[in-house]
Amino acid sequence: MTPAKKLLSYSYYPGCSLHASAKEYDESTRGLFKALGIGLQEVPDWLCCGATPAHNVDELLSLSLCAKNLSLAEGVEGDLAVACAACFSRLKVTQHHLADNETKRKQVEYAIDGTVNLAKPVKHLLEILAKDFGLDRLTEAVQKPLAGLKVACYYGCLLTRPPEVPQLDCVEAPTIMERVIGAVGAETVGWSHRMECCGANFTLSRPGVVLKLSGSILDSAKAAGADCLMVACPLCHGNLDIRQKEIEEATGQRFGMPVFYMTQLLALAVGVAPGKLGFDSMIVNPLPLLREKQLL
Amino acid sequence: MSRIGVFVCHCGENISRTVDVERVAAEAARLPGVAYATDYKYMCSDPGQNLLKNAVTEHRLDGIVVAACSPRMHEKTFRNAAKSAGLNPFLCEMANIREHCSWVHEDRDEATAKASDIVAMMVARVKKDKRLVPITVPVTKRSLVIGGGIAGIQAALDIADAGHQVVLVEREPSIGGHMAQLSETFPTLDCSQCIMTPKMVDVANHPNITLHTYSEIEAVDGYIGNFQITVRKKARSVIEEKCTGCGVCSAKCPQKKIPNTFDKNLGTRPAIYVPFPQAVPNTPVIDRANCTWFKTGKCGVCQKVCGPGAINYEQEDQLIVEPVGAIVVATGFELYSITEKPKGSPIKGYGEFGHGTIPDVIDGLTFERLASASGPTGGKILRPSDGKEPKQVVFVQCVGSRAREKGISYCSKICCMYTAKHTMLYKHKIHDGQAYVFFMDARTPGKSYDEFWRRAVEEEEAVYIRGMVSRLYQKGDKVVVMGSDISVGVQVEIEADLVVLATAVQPRAGADTLAQKLGISYDSYHFYSEAHAKLKPVECATAGIYLAGACQGPKDIPDTVSQASAAAAKVMTLFAKDELEREPIVAKVNEKNCVACLYCKKVCPYGAVEEKEIRDRQGNLIRVVAYVNPGVCGGCGTCQASCPSKSVELDGYTDEQIMAMIEAL
Repeated sequence: MTPAKKLLSYSYYPGCSLHASAKEYDESTRGLFKALGIGLQEVPDWLCCGATPAHNVDELLSLSLCAKNLSLAEGVEGDLAVACAACFSRLKVTQHHLADNETKRKQVEYAIDGTVNLAKPVKHLLEILAKDFGLDRLTEAVQKPLAGLKVACYYGCLLTRPPEVPQLDCVEAPTIMERVIGAVGAETVGWSHRMECCGANFTLSRPGVVLKLSGSILDSAKAAGADCLMVACPLCHGNLDIRQKEIEEATGQRFGMPVFYMTQLLALAVGVAPGKLGFDSMIVNPLPLLREKQLL
Repeated sequence: MSRIGVFVCHCGENISRTVDVERVAAEAARLPGVAYATDYKYMCSDPGQNLLKNAVTEHRLDGIVVAACSPRMHEKTFRNAAKSAGLNPFLCEMANIREHCSWVHEDRDEATAKASDIVAMMVARVKKDKRLVPITVPVTKRSLVIGGGIAGIQAALDIADAGHQVVLVEREPSIGGHMAQLSETFPTLDCSQCIMTPKMVDVANHPNITLHTYSEIEAVDGYIGNFQITVRKKARSVIEEKCTGCGVCSAKCPQKKIPNTFDKNLGTRPAIYVPFPQAVPNTPVIDRANCTWFKTGKCGVCQKVCGPGAINYEQEDQLIVEPVGAIVVATGFELYSITEKPKGSPIKGYGEFGHGTIPDVIDGLTFERLASASGPTGGKILRPSDGKEPKQVVFVQCVGSRAREKGISYCSKICCMYTAKHTMLYKHKIHDGQAYVFFMDARTPGKSYDEFWRRAVEEEEAVYIRGMVSRLYQKGDKVVVMGSDISVGVQVEIEADLVVLATAVQPRAGADTLAQKLGISYDSYHFYSEAHAKLKPVECATAGIYLAGACQGPKDIPDTVSQASAAAAKVMTLFAKDELEREPIVAKVNEKNCVACLYCKKVCPYGAVEEKEIRDRQGNLIRVVAYVNPGVCGGCGTCQASCPSKSVELDGYTDEQIMAMIEAL
């Protein structure tokens, strides 16, 4: 018998995408945490973090939105768990920015009509799994090892950047995603475009840019021999999964590359029923791949 | 009653801008014992010094306070002036009202008041000054040169040609350093080996040079004119006197696959080897870590085939003590490596360039070996991964240099020029190839340098792209270079066959350890510090030790050779006298009070304190006291501060003087 394990419990900020286009990320996150015995309690009445557009338009607005969320999170016990890379980034940036800027802080406090508490640690799911929960315990929890599945871990822009803010892992050559998914038995590939931009919000204004940038990400993952991509950001997911068909048409290349949220694969490995992981809402059908690898 | 003169300097505007110098002089004139006080714009100038000299005779001064800059700058100047006016030079003191006052304060009234206080203190002190007589010490007219690269070779040859003995110590089995690794040199494109190897031979044949290769400095004792150096001569396992350099041992050695470090690991070498065919001395060395005999006790082929019987597996490291009078440090540089750095290192690696895992991404020195006629490819430029001729080569400048985020903020100085040279060498050998250079700005300040760079751009058609490279990755057999061209504002992607990184110049590993042995200072990057950036560029703050070459900072060959000759000239200046004059500011022990606790011996950083036995006329030991060897004493005063019975005092800094200064406040 191993010594009594620490009971982990977190407050949870899902963000807008996880209630809409990235429902499967939300479902699989809840499923995974439940299976691992980690508590997760949604922050009540949370609002949008402003995502990537707000801070381009009005910095004060974007800081205030996040500061409001941080103060709402105060009411729920546990460090703040965040799944979406953009929400994670904005919340961290807000903490970082207000910590050493008294003037901004006062403006924000006036805007949200309350105090800003910067003490609560904001943690990405990867950090919770790799550091708080621990890779050994994750391996212990595996019921269906993802053996034989070659995964290209895609970090995108926001998980490790800007260098001084997230402090998640090495800014230029991170390995945290590989370590986490490797702990449940998957094989990871070394590839070049792990941290290149997918085109992000240009998906609406200049889709051509997205087709090129996301195209080269898919191309590079394919060249490295990956079966699928693993992401931690709903926007990346949208560009790589939803636009994949368009990219194929534009480049004349056939990828057929399922794009999973990290929690979908992890939850599958720890025994969450596949029906609860939202595989049916993915545009590139992952079922043939999962069947081929005998994971269903 | 003393008659003190006070001379307040304006230092141009350096002092007078914040300090009312006239008021300081006027207040000084009212101090007891001050017979004369004045101010002048440039006290250190010729008229300024004359003013001081005239005042000494005119006002019959018996002590001088010059209120000016730091004593490090001009104490000697004013003491010499005092001496020529007939005063003992140690009766002249400086009140530092520049570094300690005008430069660090803004408020004029406060600064002026402080300057007056400083002057008052020094006046109180100078009254208690004693006439001191300089100490003379003998000079050992032999010198040590550490490092056998072009800097060390040049310095050693210059000193030896002047008729003095030189001991040259080199860590590697052969002298030659990095210059021996280069193919051609800028800006003339003459062959590095052709200008280097004759000098190497000169060193080996010079009657005045003792060469210790494969050796390191173990310990340094003593002081200027009288150093004792312990050299560790590492076991070569080959008896130098017997070896004829025939090379049979290397040819027959069954170990063949050891990466050749001289060729930047491009080729291989046996376990018994000379680093390169033109090595000096041409005596092989056994690499014990990779030798089958030393690993398993079996083999012994080299011993069997060696005709003269020069192989000796039992050879041990030798410690040789060399007495020398001066030291030239010329330990050179090494290139920054982009690989992952150990945790806690202030310098970072390049994850975005793959941490050095892409085989066709090489550094500048590796390219030199590829282009060198004596290199692993015989001078053909072939890429390391598959030996193919690269048709598109990308050169990336400022890799690690000028990159604060990577931990290095300085410019490595030589890369702009050697990259321009590389593009030319490449074009001369692969005519249909294309060279691209990512650069931030071209820094080519040197004789015929800018012309050289422009030749690379205009005649040899190297494409220079102003911008940085963000990422390198392998794609099939190509290396994709992702960068930007900031002059037109577009992103650039080049599929290269070979990428050459101009990585930062760093001091040799272990430079700090050697500095600590020598007692010289170094900067945060471990480059050795010169005594004064402009006026003492080859001297260390530690007397008798001189610097040459890239151990002091990034330098090209012309600069290195110039500095090496300058260091040699400094050594010769030192050797021109039979005896050295040293400042008499040394500690003295009051033997009556000393109880021989010898705390002073424990704390003395110079090892100047000895035990002295006091005997009566019959020769019976009465007691033991501490004794300070004036030749070794550095005048730091640590002994004085630590002596519990107040029995040690530093001349010029006696307790009486310090108390007088405090009371004057």
